[in-house]
Order: sequence, then C-alpha cells, then structure tokens
Amino acid sequence: MKRASIISLAIAAAALVAVPWIIGGDFYINMASQVLIYALFALSINLMLGYGGMVSLGHAAYLGVAGYTCILLVTAGYNQLTAAVIAVLFSTAFAGVFGVLSLRAPGLGFIMITLAIGQIVWGIAYRANDLTGGDNGMSFPARPMPFGFDIRDAKSFYYFTLIVFAIAFFFLWRFSRSPFGASLVGTKDQPRRMRMLGHNVWLIQLLTFVLAGFWGSVASILYVYYNLFLSPHALALQQSAEILLMAILGGATSLTGPIVGAAIITLIKNVISTYVERWNTLLGAIFVIAIIFMPYGLVPGCKQLWGWLQNRRKNRTLQHDAPSEPTA
Amino acid sequence: MTTPALEVIGLNKHFGGLPATKEVSFHVMPGERRLIIGPNGAGKTTIFNLVTGDLQPDSGSVKLFGQELLDLPTQARVHLGLARTYQILTLFPRETLIHNVVLALLGLKPLRWNPWTFLTGHNDIYAAAHAALAQVGLGESADRVVAETSYGERRRLELAMALAQKPKLLMLDEPLAGLSPGERQSVRGLLDQIPRDVTIIMIEHDMDTALDFAERITLLHYGQVIVEGTRAEVVADPRTREVYLGD
Repeated sequence: MKRASIISLAIAAAALVAVPWIIGGDFYINMASQVLIYALFALSINLMLGYGGMVSLGHAAYLGVAGYTCILLVTAGYNQLTAAVIAVLFSTAFAGVFGVLSLRAPGLGFIMITLAIGQIVWGIAYRANDLTGGDNGMSFPARPMPFGFDIRDAKSFYYFTLIVFAIAFFFLWRFSRSPFGASLVGTKDQPRRMRMLGHNVWLIQLLTFVLAGFWGSVASILYVYYNLFLSPHALALQQSAEILLMAILGGATSLTGPIVGAAIITLIKNVISTYVERWNTLLGAIFVIAIIFMPYGLVPGCKQLWGWLQNRRKNRTLQHDAPSEPTA
Repeated sequence: MTTPALEVIGLNKHFGGLPATKEVSFHVMPGERRLIIGPNGAGKTTIFNLVTGDLQPDSGSVKLFGQELLDLPTQARVHLGLARTYQILTLFPRETLIHNVVLALLGLKPLRWNPWTFLTGHNDIYAAAHAALAQVGLGESADRVVAETSYGERRRLELAMALAQKPKLLMLDEPLAGLSPGERQSVRGLLDQIPRDVTIIMIEHDMDTALDFAERITLLHYGQVIVEGTRAEVVADPRTREVYLGD
C-alpha cells in the first residue's frame, strides 16, 4: 500500500471515530449511522456494478428478505443473534437463487430480471398482510445488546454500525486486491477471453452476486436495527435505484466511491429536504452535473483533477526555474 | 496408432440458412504444425470457434487427445490443454501487459477463486508471467498498459498469454495479421522456438511466411475441406490454384 493511501485511510478512520464529538446532536449522529448503512449497501452493489459490470435494480430485495426474516424471528421469541444470523444466511441463499435466475440473461435482460425479482419481493411484502403487516409495515421490538453493550442511544449505535462497516470494508478491500477480484474485473472487460483463459465466467458472476447479497443482507439488518421498523416502501424500486445511484455518483470503479456517493445522497435526502421541498429535483440536478463533468463518478473524477493540478503546478515550477538554469 | 492431438469428425454448422462448415473432418497428430488456409468466408475461424466452444455445432465430433470436447464448456476445454489467440485482438486494454499474462496464468490455477490474499503477493505467478513476456521479447514492457503499446506488441502479448498456459494444442488465428514484414519475421522466429510437445494449428493468409512453417496444410472452401496433405502436395494440387492461389 502506498504511503499516501495509508495516511488518508488513517485520517478517514480517525474522522469516522470522532464524528459524534465533531457534530454532536443526536439528529446528525443518527444521520452518520444512516450514511454508513447506505454506504454498505452501495459497496455491496458495487461488487457487481463496478467490479463485475452487472447492473442490478433489485438490491432492495435483500432488505425485504433479511429484514422481515429478522423481525419475524425476534418477534417469535428467538434471541437476537440467532435471528440476525439466520436472516443473513437465508437472505444470502436467496441471493444464490436470485443470481441463478438473473444470470440466465446477459445485459439488459439481466437488469430486467433483477428489477422483476425486486418487485416480486416488494409485492409479497405489500400483499402478504398476515406475514409482513402489508402496507402498515412491522416494527422491530428492540435493538440487540451485542456482548452486553447497550446500543439504544444514537452515539453507541453509531459505533456499533461503524464497527460492522469497518469489518465489511476490510473484507471488501482485500477482495478488490485478490485473485478473485482480478478475475471478476476480467469478466467485466472480456468475458469471452476469460473463458478462453480457463475462467468459469458464470460461476465468478454468481459468486459475486451471492457475496453482494451477503453484504447487502448485513446492511439490511443494520437498517432494521436503526429504524426499528420495516415497510414495503423501504424495498420499493426507488430504494434499489438510489443504492445504484450512490455507487455510480461516487464512482463505481473505485473502492471508496460508493461511500462518498452514499454520504452525498443520504445527506441531501435528510438535510436538504428540510429546507428544500423539491430535493428530488436537486438530487437529479447534482447527479446530472456530476456525471457530465466526471463521467466515472466523483472519486475517480477528483483524483483525475488532482493529478491534472499537480502536473500543472509542476510544469509551472519548471518554467519558472528554467531561466535560472545555467545556459551553455 | 497414436491418438491424434485433435480429431474433427463430420463437423456441421449453419448460420441461419447459410452453411459455415459442411462435414469438415481432419486430424492433427501430436507435435504437428498444421496450416489452415482458404479464402475469406471459407469457415476457418468458425472451425476454431467450434473447437474452443465459442460456437456449438449442429452435428459432429471434436476430440482432444481422444476426449470428446463438444459436451464441455470452453473453460473446461482450456483446462484440458487448449489455448488460442484471436484474429481480432482480445486483450484487457486498460491493464498492464503483465496483468494480462497473470490473468492467463490464473485461469488454470485454483488460486483464481481466492477472494482474500493479495494477488500481487504471489511472486511465483509474476515470475512465470515475466518469463512468458520475456519469451516473446516483451520483458522490458511488462508494466506498460496495453492501450499504450503498438499493434505488433499486442500480437506478441496474445502469443505470450497463450504460451504462458503451456497448452498441448495451440490454435493461432492469423498471428501475423497487420504486422510489418520485419515484425512478421520476428514473430515467425518465436513460433519456431515453441517446443515440439505443443501441437500448433494456424490460420494464416501470408503464404510466404506461413507455408514453410507448416508440415501439413488443410485447404477450406465454402466450409468444406477441398485439399489436405503435405505442403508440396497442397501447393501442387490444381484445386488449390483454382480456389486460392488464383490463376
């Protein structure tokens, strides 16, 4: 790892730990928790989008499967840990089926199948009144007490979320540098060639789908803990699309892009919407402007801009120094 | 009798109503250098695609060292020792040359499923990839990005990726296409250095360079094998003159 990236990682980590002291006020600390939860959603969908080139419009389905499973189990009297583990495992297995069905079709067909499956899960949540409470949603009894720690207040819940997020980010970072990660990027660029090199493209894509489903399910459990409530609105198409937009806005080709995208969109949604009524329009405008000037997203775009500025400065210094050089 | 390295029997493929190959049968013995020639649209690349599994035939049989390939997916055929290069360059343009070869090496290793270790920490793979690049004279350019290299270098990279996999059967689809005369000679030299335990089938239009490379030649025309035999036999055959070399 380069020294610059170690330093920036350390600064980012310190900043994240210090967030509750810096901003204060439960409203904003809660928002920071929300940012982290959505960042995990965006990171998980970006495994498929940025590394594998698979566009999914059904990522909110995990919120439905994992979320309702967890709520139902806890309500039925299971302990919190068992409920969370079973919910994540069940939802990950669902991702396997979801993936097998979606990968039947490439490209546009893939998007449409993910959209359809996402809508089916939404439809079931909406219609199955006895199971999910239908449109009224379901409330979650109480947040768990991991290792005896009370995470009911905003600050401690933020740290709980941060720990889960940090673990996930660590795994995803290793993934992005791993042989499997390299193979996945290869299947995005040249699936045919990858087959001819001995790679099983279908299995690589399916395993990525399942992995994205796993981290999406983990984020879903956090979402339920945070809101203590789940309704069909949370798994509507809008949710899937927003998660996808977060990854694209921040930069799907970078590891950190989806986090930046999640932060921006979550803040606009929550903060700006209290001042501006048409915040959706503002979100759209920001998205369009960002994509016009930085088509690969904000993080890669800013990196490019930074490199360009550095070069210009270097060139200027060179020009400035030139006359003082002794001439022959 | 030795098992042929590749045995193609009665291969048929139609694209809609258009027959691309008609009852194509031929076999290539281990260690042989085989040249496949024929005018544009004769079905040469189609046969390659049928052998590798990029296309499924309507009927027929393809055997690699006696093993039927047609019910296997492409990647499984590669694991049996098949490698090919493409007429239209099929590389990873935004990656470095070394990364391209590393992906080729990974394709045959169980390590490719590992989501946890750092790829760059596997020095053995990088050493093997460097060796493959050095073999085709690209040892100095390992860290350059493909998009910044010349066409000739990319042709060599295609070859390095195939050779890195140490295939038993190497299929070269116009490895000299688009190269300058000087580059042709140097790529030709590389082909000559490939050890004899690798069987080679090559599609090539450049007769001057290709003819003396091949031991046996198969001439295709309208999807059918017209002439097959040694270099001298095929060149002397009147049908060759008729369909290919021109009057």
